[in-house]
Amino acid sequence: MNSSHRIPLLNNVTGEFVEAILHERIDSAYALRVDDIWLTYLAAAEARANAEGRPFARLEHAHWSWLAKVAGSSRLLSCPTLAIECEGEPQGLMLLKTDGHFANLPNEAGRPLVYVTYLASAPWNLRGVVDRPRFSGIGTLLMRAAVQVSIEAEFKGRVGLHALPQAESFYECHGFACLGKDPDKENLKYYELTPEAADAFINRRKP
Amino acid sequence: MSTKKTMTLNLTEAEMNALEELCVEKDMSKTALLRQALRLYQLVNARLRGGEKLFFEDEIAKEKKELVVL
Repeated sequence: MNSSHRIPLLNNVTGEFVEAILHERIDSAYALRVDDIWLTYLAAAEARANAEGRPFARLEHAHWSWLAKVAGSSRLLSCPTLAIECEGEPQGLMLLKTDGHFANLPNEAGRPLVYVTYLASAPWNLRGVVDRPRFSGIGTLLMRAAVQVSIEAEFKGRVGLHALPQAESFYECHGFACLGKDPDKENLKYYELTPEAADAFINRRKP
Repeated sequence: MSTKKTMTLNLTEAEMNALEELCVEKDMSKTALLRQALRLYQLVNARLRGGEKLFFEDEIAKEKKELVVL
């Protein structure tokens, strides 16, 4: 594991902020642990819902193997792998690329950006899985980290990503501009954050 | 983000000129440009070590030339 930072995270159960850790680089062992914990939790949540006769909304990214994703980019500087950990458990993960992706928005076309390859919160932090998420703001904190990586690379905060349908509203709420569906990426909508929108996002009041 | 370490870099005048030209073209500082170059070099090196090859392709001339990297 590389360097880590302390960040505040809102515990919805207690209503208080607790100290979490943002890891700037995770390894395969960490990713394997994430797969194990998250998939076990999801399977148990689905079994509980079935037993109680409740509907269970399947997550679009439930099949993701973080081990496979992280193993392919481990130690590569151009593929940062970040994680938020709190109370000894992984609360959110994100994989980025800092090479080979360029802006498409008219005023930014051709300029480099940080591409968010994958981003996910732990299932117990997702309203679709639980009625009351354990922690709030994981996605926002990870997105803030992505913007920070972009600023440090002197990409001026530019970020691009393809969003799963369940996450589209999250990115739209955070100032991302939608450039429409991408036929080369399973028709997922492609979003970009401009330097101005990144500046507004990063300067929003922190908890 | 990560703590930075400082180093002194010795460049020839030609190398410095090339660096400065790229900085203007890419709208980046020397530090950012060299960090980006390192990220790219590490990525290319890893893929070459994995058995892949790197090519430049001229679509009009229908030519492909392999780029051999140190």
